[in-house]
Amino acid sequence: MTQHLDRRHFLGLAGVTASAAALAACGGPSTSGTPVASEAAELDFSGVKPAAKIDFWSNHPGKSQDVEKAIIEKFHAKFPDIRVNLVTAGANYEEIAQKFQTSQAAKSGLPGVVVLSDVWWFRYFTNGSIIPVDALVKQLDIKLDDFRKSLVDDYKYKDKQWALPYGRSTPLFYYNKDHFQAAGLPDRAPKTWQEFGEWAPKLKASSGAQYAYIYPALAGYAGWTLQNNLWGWGGSWSKEWEITCDSPESIEALQWAQDSIYKNGWAGVSSKEAADDFSAGLTSSTISSTGSLLGVLKSAPFNVGVGFLPGGPKAETNVCPTGGAGLGIPSGITKEEQLAAGTFLKFMTEPENSAAFSAATGYMPTRESADMKAVLAQTPQIQTAVDQLAVTRVQDNARVFLPGADQELAKAAAAILTQQADVKSTMTSLKKTLEGIYEKDVKPKLG
Amino acid sequence: MTRQLAPHPSTKPTKPGPAAAPKRRRWTQRTRRDFFVFLALALPNLVLIAVFTYRPLVSNIYYSTLDWTLGSPSATVVGINNYVTFFTSDDASKVLGTTAIFTVVTVGGSMILGLLIALALNAKVRGTTFARSAVFAPYVLSGVGVGLVWLFIFDPGYGVLAWLLRGIGQQSPQWINDPQLSLVMVILVYVWKNLGYCAVVYLAGLQSLPQDVMEAASLDGANGFRRFITMSLPLLSPTTFFLLITSLLSSLQAFDLIRIMTPLGTGTSTLIYEAYLQAFGAFNRAGYSAAISVILFAILLVITVFQLRFVERKVHYS
Repeated sequence: MTQHLDRRHFLGLAGVTASAAALAACGGPSTSGTPVASEAAELDFSGVKPAAKIDFWSNHPGKSQDVEKAIIEKFHAKFPDIRVNLVTAGANYEEIAQKFQTSQAAKSGLPGVVVLSDVWWFRYFTNGSIIPVDALVKQLDIKLDDFRKSLVDDYKYKDKQWALPYGRSTPLFYYNKDHFQAAGLPDRAPKTWQEFGEWAPKLKASSGAQYAYIYPALAGYAGWTLQNNLWGWGGSWSKEWEITCDSPESIEALQWAQDSIYKNGWAGVSSKEAADDFSAGLTSSTISSTGSLLGVLKSAPFNVGVGFLPGGPKAETNVCPTGGAGLGIPSGITKEEQLAAGTFLKFMTEPENSAAFSAATGYMPTRESADMKAVLAQTPQIQTAVDQLAVTRVQDNARVFLPGADQELAKAAAAILTQQADVKSTMTSLKKTLEGIYEKDVKPKLG
Repeated sequence: MTRQLAPHPSTKPTKPGPAAAPKRRRWTQRTRRDFFVFLALALPNLVLIAVFTYRPLVSNIYYSTLDWTLGSPSATVVGINNYVTFFTSDDASKVLGTTAIFTVVTVGGSMILGLLIALALNAKVRGTTFARSAVFAPYVLSGVGVGLVWLFIFDPGYGVLAWLLRGIGQQSPQWINDPQLSLVMVILVYVWKNLGYCAVVYLAGLQSLPQDVMEAASLDGANGFRRFITMSLPLLSPTTFFLLITSLLSSLQAFDLIRIMTPLGTGTSTLIYEAYLQAFGAFNRAGYSAAISVILFAILLVITVFQLRFVERKVHYS
């Protein structure tokens, strides 16, 4: 048989190749039906044998890599048939989420257990990326009622438990005791921001620090800590699904924050990490996660004090949000892997391991029965974080349940706190954006 | 018109058979063997290019027609809605504006400063070898490392720049938090990192200029500035053209510095970074991100075709 290879044939060959590529491109997501968060059929693990190996994806919150390794070694000793491979899946919650979402899209390489933050687990739920752990709780006899209620309830939705608390934190008020003493101030955190407003000029005058207070970096989790200011003034980012960031109370709270920087001149905004700025002596006080506690105590060359978050003119208490990360199990892995993951999840959150994790990082113990005596003897400041748990408040839906909202809050906060933008118009614009996200990305998926 | 594979020069022409078409000759054993050699050599590469370049390209165009949340197993076909959403949103003008500013300033800055440095390095004085290496070094450094170091330098709290400014009684600007200053900061670092490449390429161009012509101009009384404007610059046009294409393409695809220095892309969200943020940042809008990528692809294509068709005509190759 003889053939010609002219341009026609060559183009034909190229066409076949391109068509094959085009056909291959038609993979990806299914386009039949509207994506609605699945109700997740009842899972039953009876008769299932746990897998021999699973991955645990963590960003090692609070520099916890060593303690995570130690707990995994203990797990291997107790369950020699299940190997857990600790994977550094990102430097922060966002990077780990990026890797997890990409693996979901690729439908391969998923871990057995994944660290999921307060703003990501709901997204995984709406995408059907994680399973409810109720069946595993029942089968493996996980003592759900021994978890601190406010922490475990954060992962409840539609009467199902979607994750268990792990590296859980609240913001804390950190202050430089030496600066406070030099300014003649009491050795405690201020009860309200108004009280701190009176202290701040004295602090700035006597301390030599650049700021009396520094707002946490906006590129981090501005929306998280600013809830404290909003709630103190009677405002909020949202009430349930109604966006309220433009309410008079919210605007008044943010106006006060802007004034502390531009009008009164005693506050600044951190560029990277407020806890580092505080440790470096740049500021006399700040708000940062409990997860930063041990790092600050180690690195600060001065006496560090911690206290509850200050209240505001409308609310002096219950003005502190919870935060941090939990552990979830992907839906896209085998039942054997899910059971092995459940076994590891149970072990990782046992009271003694919760106490060990807390001792190593400063994150809060998630179990009521965790023996914290030794930990508190070494780091008594952790007690403040534990005590503050009793006066925490569930975060606003707008921050934790709207995809990308945290970033929009950070942008709005940046406009107000670093460019002196008009607070009211910024919040009006933010409300429109957040409502758009809810209508497009959340409402249709809630069914 | 049908073009045939040229027969090998040593192949004797064969007599056309009665059934042969007048303009299509049957393959000889030699041309068939050549064809299989061609396939053996080219096919693996063609397959790799098809799988790893064209397949993702086609996939991306397909995904741009979907309303798809990254990680979700299902999506809705929305046709051109993602494109309409982009071009009718406030984001479009911001992102396109940022892309234009970033591209024009970084390409222009790198090329102009690179040319000036090349002129300095072309002088026959001691130390030019060291200076050439020093200027080129930032180009080969990792963008991530460069970004991290410069972040420390720009830090308004304890950065070197803030320390210098405090020395003269000034407060440091909010380089990282202020979106406008963030863009300035990233542009400065990008130009610093890349101008060494332009300088070295320009230097090679300057050193290959015909010295006899330059000396003749000098003897005719043309001063240094005039020789540069009327002779060196036009003769450097192939170098300029090459740098313009490569710098434009790499600037439009700049990612590492923006990612490290401004993770949220506040004020620095160029087309490519916006595509990344929309899919892999907080939003997970994979379809929308794919549409932005297609827009970027179209812009790159238009720029390249325009440069090849029109700009190259102005180039003096000799």
